[in-house]
Amino acid sequence: MSEAALAGPLRLDAEVLDNRPEGGQSFRLRLAAPGWPGAAPGQFVMLSPGARGAAERHDPLLPRPMAVYRTLGGEGAPAVEILYKVMGRGTQLLAETRAGERVRMVGPLGAPFPLPRAGERALLVGGGTGIASLYELALRARERGPVEVLLGARSAADLMGRADFAALGVGLRVATEDGSAGARGLVTELLEVALAEAADAPLVYACGPTPMMRRAAALAAARGRRCVVSLENHMACGFGVCLGCAVPRAGGGFALVCRDGPVLDAGAVAWAGLP
Amino acid sequence: MSPRVDPSVDLGGIRLRNPVLTASGTFGYGSELAPFIDLRRLGGIVAKSLTLEPRQGNPPPRIAETPAGMLNAIGLENVGVDAFIAEKLPLLPAELPVIASVFETEIDRYAEVCKRLTGVPRVAGLELNASCPHVKSGGIEFGQRPALLAELVRAARAATSLPLLVKLSPNVTDIGEMARVCEGEGADGLSLINTLQALDVDLATRRPVLRNGLGGLSGPAIRPVALRMVWQAARAVRIPVCGIGGIVSAEDALKFLICGARAVQVGTANYLNPAAALEVADGIEAYAAAHGFARVADLVGTLEWPERG
Repeated sequence: MSEAALAGPLRLDAEVLDNRPEGGQSFRLRLAAPGWPGAAPGQFVMLSPGARGAAERHDPLLPRPMAVYRTLGGEGAPAVEILYKVMGRGTQLLAETRAGERVRMVGPLGAPFPLPRAGERALLVGGGTGIASLYELALRARERGPVEVLLGARSAADLMGRADFAALGVGLRVATEDGSAGARGLVTELLEVALAEAADAPLVYACGPTPMMRRAAALAAARGRRCVVSLENHMACGFGVCLGCAVPRAGGGFALVCRDGPVLDAGAVAWAGLP
Repeated sequence: MSPRVDPSVDLGGIRLRNPVLTASGTFGYGSELAPFIDLRRLGGIVAKSLTLEPRQGNPPPRIAETPAGMLNAIGLENVGVDAFIAEKLPLLPAELPVIASVFETEIDRYAEVCKRLTGVPRVAGLELNASCPHVKSGGIEFGQRPALLAELVRAARAATSLPLLVKLSPNVTDIGEMARVCEGEGADGLSLINTLQALDVDLATRRPVLRNGLGGLSGPAIRPVALRMVWQAARAVRIPVCGIGGIVSAEDALKFLICGARAVQVGTANYLNPAAALEVADGIEAYAAAHGFARVADLVGTLEWPERG
């Protein structure tokens, strides 16, 4: 999908269809999203921190940016699926929302991943909650060429969406820091191997903790490959007006993660300046 | 059926179809919100503060969440006055009153920005952001010293024939005095409050949470403080006051009107809900109708203060 074809974002009080634990501190949230235009791979939504009751809640105040994991359902009843991990009060409240309650959702937002050219092999590297940004990309890239997905997390329970990726029939390798699933170690160690094996993969996609993406970018650059990353950051709005999510650009100045990203070329980011 | 209410107000010579504007720095240059709402339904917008030259702003972290509020230190990031006029204004519907916010570090630069905005057909008025640190006074805000504030308003007044609002800093002892200073120098109205100077600390690093150190506190946490200051300022002057500070709902905005604000600005709430200002405007009108006010303006300053004794 070209950027010009991206549909405008919506703002809706979306009904929770389902919100269940996925293992570890991870949850899978499904929201009814009438009128949802679909999200391009890598786009995100802003979600209110918890259910919206009769009385407004102002603490915590700000919505949370969440990757769109995937869009379900047909044109009749689209639903948005979000995989998230309980990290603090906002996500804790989100985890406590029940089917039938409503959360405010604004989206889809942000600049998506570029898709691989037809016939090109795609290398996807996801770490922790960053995995949630990669499912739609794997789905779309699979239509164009071979896809290798490398997933990493602290332990097996934190490997969100692993079974979904396996069901896609893409190449899948996992690593955990405690060795409870796949190789023991970091996902970037898998990437080192994959880069050596796959000379036909010109583009590496990475989403995860900053040190992971920085390492992935360095590994890709050392092999002459391009790397695109999907950055996370705190933001108040998600649509370019709070200016809170600025990250330094390699050439000077700042990019807004919400508007210029979340997907950015790894070479465009001044990694040392990230908080 | 509720009777028809006239929601329009006059804010220092700026005619607004309803009393709800969006606050500077929370609504970009307006067009960012066009995907979500019909901008023509707003009372008006106060655009992101403009400086003479484009500015990049502060390194991150620039924002942090606090109890029922947030801290920010964005640091002057803006496209500059000329790019605003050439590139941002034309994107806005003609029916939308646009107030340009002016922010600088020196008085002559403030005046120059005011001059460049004057005569631009789409600019309905100016809002002077007096919370900028004055470099020559060691970083104190213009709005914190009566003499400095007077000098600033005088220079801006001389530079423009547009309706001139002054956005007051709340980081002062006597807001009434600051309000009178602005009125005395020819301001057409006041906007208050700007963010409260604030600090939060990261215990893991023992550093301020913001890269800038200090930040400005906004959101529902500051609302009662803002309401008090608006009430004090409105009693101190005859020029109209625009109330700002943590307004999320129509109920919040109504309290500001009752305390003497002719209009209000919705700020941080725009982040949570891009339609917040429209919902506030609709709710004000509904309240006026339900309580028998023919005009929203008739609600202004109707606070009944308890008798002493």
